[in-house]
Amino acid sequence: MRDEGIVRERIPRGAPVNRPMRSSQAPAAWLLMTPALAGLLLFLLLPFGLAVVLSFSNLRMGSPLPLEFVGLANYTLAFTDTGLTRALLNNLLFALVVVPVQTALGLALALLLNRPLAGRAVFRTLFFLPVVFPLSLVAVVWVLIFAPGPDGLLNAALGLLTFGGWEPRDFLNDPFWALPAVMLTSIWQGVGFQMVVLLAGLQAIPRQLYEAAAVDGASRWRQFLHVTLPGLRNPLIFVVIVTTILSFRVFDQVRIMTRGGPQDASNTVIHEMVRTAFDQGHVAMGAAMSVVFFLVILGIALVQRRLLRQRGEVS
Amino acid sequence: MNRWPRLRAALAYALLLAFTLLFVAPVLFMLVGSLKPDELVLAEAGTLRAFFPDTISLDNYRAVFERVPFGLYLASSLIINGLIVGLGLLVNAFAGYALARLRWWGREAMLALVLAVLVIPFEAIAIPLFYQLSWIGWRDDWLVQAIPFVANPLAIFLFYSFFLGLPRELEEAARVDGAGVLRTFFVIVVPNAKAAFASVAIVLFLFHWGMYLWPLLMTTSEAVRPLPLGIANFHTLPPLQWGDIMAFGVLMVLPVLILFVVFQRWFVRGVASTGIKG
Amino acid sequence: MLLAFTVATALTLAGCGPEVERGEGAPDADVHRLEIWAHAGREEERRTLEAQIDRFRAERSEVRIDLTWIPEGSYNGQVQAAALAGRLPDLLEFDGPYLYSYAWQGHLRPLDDLLPEEIHADLLPSILAQGRYRDHLYGLGTFDSGLGLWANRARLEAANARIPGGPDDAWDAEEFSDLLERLAQDDPDGQVLDLKLNYTGEWFSYAFAPLLQSAGGDLVDREPEGVASGTLDGPESVAAMTAVQSWIRQGRVDPNLDDAAFARGRVPLAWGGHWNYPGYRAALGEDLLLLPLPRMDETMVTGQGSWQWGVTRRARDPELAMDFLAFLLRPEEVLAMSEANGGVPATRAAVARSEAYGAEGPLHLFARQLEEGYARPRPRTPAYPVISDAFDRAFQDIRHGTDPAAALSAAARRIDRELRENHHYPEITGERGERGERGDTHKATRDQHQNRAVGQIGVDAKEAPVGGQPLGEGLPPFGRREGSPPTSDGHAG
Repeated sequence: MRDEGIVRERIPRGAPVNRPMRSSQAPAAWLLMTPALAGLLLFLLLPFGLAVVLSFSNLRMGSPLPLEFVGLANYTLAFTDTGLTRALLNNLLFALVVVPVQTALGLALALLLNRPLAGRAVFRTLFFLPVVFPLSLVAVVWVLIFAPGPDGLLNAALGLLTFGGWEPRDFLNDPFWALPAVMLTSIWQGVGFQMVVLLAGLQAIPRQLYEAAAVDGASRWRQFLHVTLPGLRNPLIFVVIVTTILSFRVFDQVRIMTRGGPQDASNTVIHEMVRTAFDQGHVAMGAAMSVVFFLVILGIALVQRRLLRQRGEVS
Repeated sequence: MNRWPRLRAALAYALLLAFTLLFVAPVLFMLVGSLKPDELVLAEAGTLRAFFPDTISLDNYRAVFERVPFGLYLASSLIINGLIVGLGLLVNAFAGYALARLRWWGREAMLALVLAVLVIPFEAIAIPLFYQLSWIGWRDDWLVQAIPFVANPLAIFLFYSFFLGLPRELEEAARVDGAGVLRTFFVIVVPNAKAAFASVAIVLFLFHWGMYLWPLLMTTSEAVRPLPLGIANFHTLPPLQWGDIMAFGVLMVLPVLILFVVFQRWFVRGVASTGIKG
Repeated sequence: MLLAFTVATALTLAGCGPEVERGEGAPDADVHRLEIWAHAGREEERRTLEAQIDRFRAERSEVRIDLTWIPEGSYNGQVQAAALAGRLPDLLEFDGPYLYSYAWQGHLRPLDDLLPEEIHADLLPSILAQGRYRDHLYGLGTFDSGLGLWANRARLEAANARIPGGPDDAWDAEEFSDLLERLAQDDPDGQVLDLKLNYTGEWFSYAFAPLLQSAGGDLVDREPEGVASGTLDGPESVAAMTAVQSWIRQGRVDPNLDDAAFARGRVPLAWGGHWNYPGYRAALGEDLLLLPLPRMDETMVTGQGSWQWGVTRRARDPELAMDFLAFLLRPEEVLAMSEANGGVPATRAAVARSEAYGAEGPLHLFARQLEEGYARPRPRTPAYPVISDAFDRAFQDIRHGTDPAAALSAAARRIDRELRENHHYPEITGERGERGERGDTHKATRDQHQNRAVGQIGVDAKEAPVGGQPLGEGLPPFGRREGSPPTSDGHAG
């Protein structure tokens, strides 16, 4: 009664004020949905459509020549004569290394912290710290850590660990070490994320399961295999999928640390795409690479979902 | 091993400490480097002095403020992220609520749309969006670095999931009292969804504070460059003044660190929630 | 409320730090404004430019200058994006070889009618050569680059090497290889030459195209509609790269991973440029020699080119922009920049006054090379970035053992594809204005290169083929030729 004035505006025509929620709330719903919808359409779907369309053209930045349709030429060229294939390979390698290593480390840390230790909040904070650092900052600091010569931090540390057996290297300019260097940087920055998710997952596993297993005489290792891992299934899957997808999106570190590395040794898909479209101005080719990239991500997401169907999913 | 719980605890501590050292080393390196004169940063990088300097000074910090418009970069970052988070919470929560709670004919379609769009990573549309917006002349300001990121399918989905889980009684009561949709939303739903808002705010903030690719493509003037671009550009001006660069880095990450330490629980919960729901 | 607080803090913080704009306070309708973009180079370069702006404004107090520093790494991308958005500044600095793209795309305003004659006459021929595209002058550099061979006098003398007296006295290919062997005998690891293999990108094109040209080849045929196939992978170019490969294969080349092979005394010879001088001088002192590159055939060829300035078409006050350029080209200003970044001063007056580049100076060879036509501009085509990238890749392959002919062929194919896809960059007429105005009539009567005495202006006007679309301008042909006296802007008739 107090709000009759307001209420009347909201209620669809013909509906009395106190009718329970059965009638359509379309006007209000659209009101609420429209800003987000506009954003998604204008800034996600429209450019995506543009990418597809442009990928069949010969658009170059600033070219005064008329736009031409070139069919699949950009795609064929992308795979035969650009850095794309090497970049895709690098991203694949990246995923194959970083996903297991980062997940294993994250799991190890989560396990270590999943016990009533004093000061574990401090540890948790410290491990999560790198996640809070912007990648560009991480890249810049690690450039220094990778400094060539025996004076570089990493070279010196490795020299110490191998009692002088380590030959100092210029990691970022070395065709073999450039990609591993970028991987290391990413792992350092990302482990905290895995740790936090997996820790939450660990804490969600009911104690009774462990107790039951212990009563059955299972060793700690067997408990781990049969209680912990299955219980962590969903968070693990999530973490694996996210990290895999992120492995294909690597850009900041490459752009700052190696710019694609010695002869594409550390080139990644996004870096190649930006180089092609922005540095070289070949927008159409960049668009084609964007489409390829999207298909790759879609493929990964689908494959992983299928292989690792999460428990509790309906579809 | 079961017989020596103390040994196990000690081992756990030892491992934790070792890992901590590995993780914290680069951070310490950066911090110490920011307090050393430029030449020494690189020269002493391979020695213990990388972590335990002989002398410390704040010269580099002073230099950062003199050499580089740090204040401008910080202001840009704050404004851009403020817009993304502020508007983002509003816009995405609205959408999430409409999808979760309201009955309307477009609901299924919109939900499908959001889920479909969720798969599109930003980089897949970065180049065409760059071209699209530059072509209409919209570049080199704060808005162009914020508005495209306000509508976020992941945020919508998080809100949607959360609102689905809210008990209906509260809204029903409000409805019986005659409150309309918007009123219900702001007066009833929002106060009960603080956790969701905090999580989404933190996720949005974390994702976008370190944004580098988009500002790289879309900004030219220093007045609108955010911090991540600032440090990258700073880093390439030869001769490299590492001390200044490290000081810049410390200053750049400090606000986020402070936020993080204060709102730690929310950070962790927010990040973890993406995992549990996803 | 938190948002309001944040914004307030942000705006306050925005006040901290150095001034970004270098102009007066409130905008004034009568104030002349100049928006300038410059590349964010070394500290000394930036300080010098800022000081130059201050000095200019001291003379012209009504002028307000807004300077934006653009990081080098994404410079071209920034320019193209700004052009697309219609946000280019009035005066723009860019790396030499990008001029041709920008001019072809119509972003730059020709400077022919703006440039005062006395400055034009005083500029080094290389500067004008670099700044011209299809009969118009679009760019002016305030400094140029020098490319040569740094040498350790003591080691050369110990090996009984003949020391070249000037650019006309360079070692030929045989002498050079022979010298490498002799030097190697006294060297512990046999590596006696530094080719700056650790550098990235543009270096290889810049530093080694002269070898191709010296041998009779080139990166691309400079005729209109010229292609790379046949030239880049022609026998002469292949021969030049084979020679380079042999030096590497025989172990004569230091990989220079620490960027100090020459400075630390590991090698007595180093391919390098003017930017190496300060470091090398400090390391070798009196023993430092600057020598011309070796010649592969008749003539020694060296590289040229560096950053230059252009006026954009959207400049509201092109005369003001030119006034500023003219100011930068004053001898004392040119010298100031040369001292800051070590480049070769762009005007003869400044060269004469320069300690390093003057007649008695240690770097005089660089100035001579640019003045006397030994320096050849890089291909003046919008496709240059692709050419450079293709050659860079070919060089890396060759360096790692690939057959030079195959590597150069692959590069040539890539370049030709780019040229083809852009239809050899036809002249764009219509609303782009000026360029269509020359008319084809007097072109129809001439269909050959107009060669100038290379020692003078060093540019030529390329006439369009009869009845055809005016196409890319050629470059001073191989070798030096006598020609008719130059006209003021290279036009014929």
